[in-house]
Amino acid sequence: MKIAKNSHTNPTSIKTRFALRFLRAIDNLNNNNNISPPLNSADRRKRFRAIRTAAYASMASAVGPNKAWSRAMLRKIRNRTKEMIKPRTRRGAVRGSTNPRNELGLGQEKELRELVPGGEAMDFRRLLNETGHYIQCLRAQVQVMRKILHYSST
Amino acid sequence: MSNRRARVSRITEDEMNDLILKLQALLPDSSSMVSASKIVKETCNYLKKLHKEVDDLSERLSQLLASGAITSTDADAIRTLLRQ
Repeated sequence: MKIAKNSHTNPTSIKTRFALRFLRAIDNLNNNNNISPPLNSADRRKRFRAIRTAAYASMASAVGPNKAWSRAMLRKIRNRTKEMIKPRTRRGAVRGSTNPRNELGLGQEKELRELVPGGEAMDFRRLLNETGHYIQCLRAQVQVMRKILHYSST
Repeated sequence: MSNRRARVSRITEDEMNDLILKLQALLPDSSSMVSASKIVKETCNYLKKLHKEVDDLSERLSQLLASGAITSTDADAIRTLLRQ
């Protein structure tokens, strides 16, 4: 299978790269949970979180390190896993030292920064670029997840 | 991207418009949007919608996983199908 050089912009390739990683992650979850299906809500919630995290991690990994949002996403997931293993008592978030200029002068920009991984520290130009790419990848992620769901339930 | 701080980072209006238009092109039903702040607002809404879809699909996949409907052999079959 040929991987295109600009695979982070080629939609077909990113879907395939994502799907393969995500399916592998699902396999791992399957193998680690060979006990009877969980009935209590805490286990169900844990399972849901595991799948959701696997989806985002698989996409970020498929995109690779050339985008700030994918790097930020993987960092966040890694840090969260570390926190789960060794819980810290102080749970304050670490703020970046730079305070980017508020370009639009309105609340929307702040909200956008919160929705895009790594958005807090980007200048506005980069934020808009990264947002565009992030949207395309999220769409691809949703399409592939739907397909997997479709194939698995027939 | 070296010396980013050394360059003047103030974005020009033309650049802003160009980037905002590119974003607008990615949004569904974007023909009625005319202002940059409206487009940014709609982008936020769209992102929230996509995040919610990922949540929903994750929930449904997780239920399938729990019921044993997704097995390793299924995963291989799906991989083959996706390659085509």
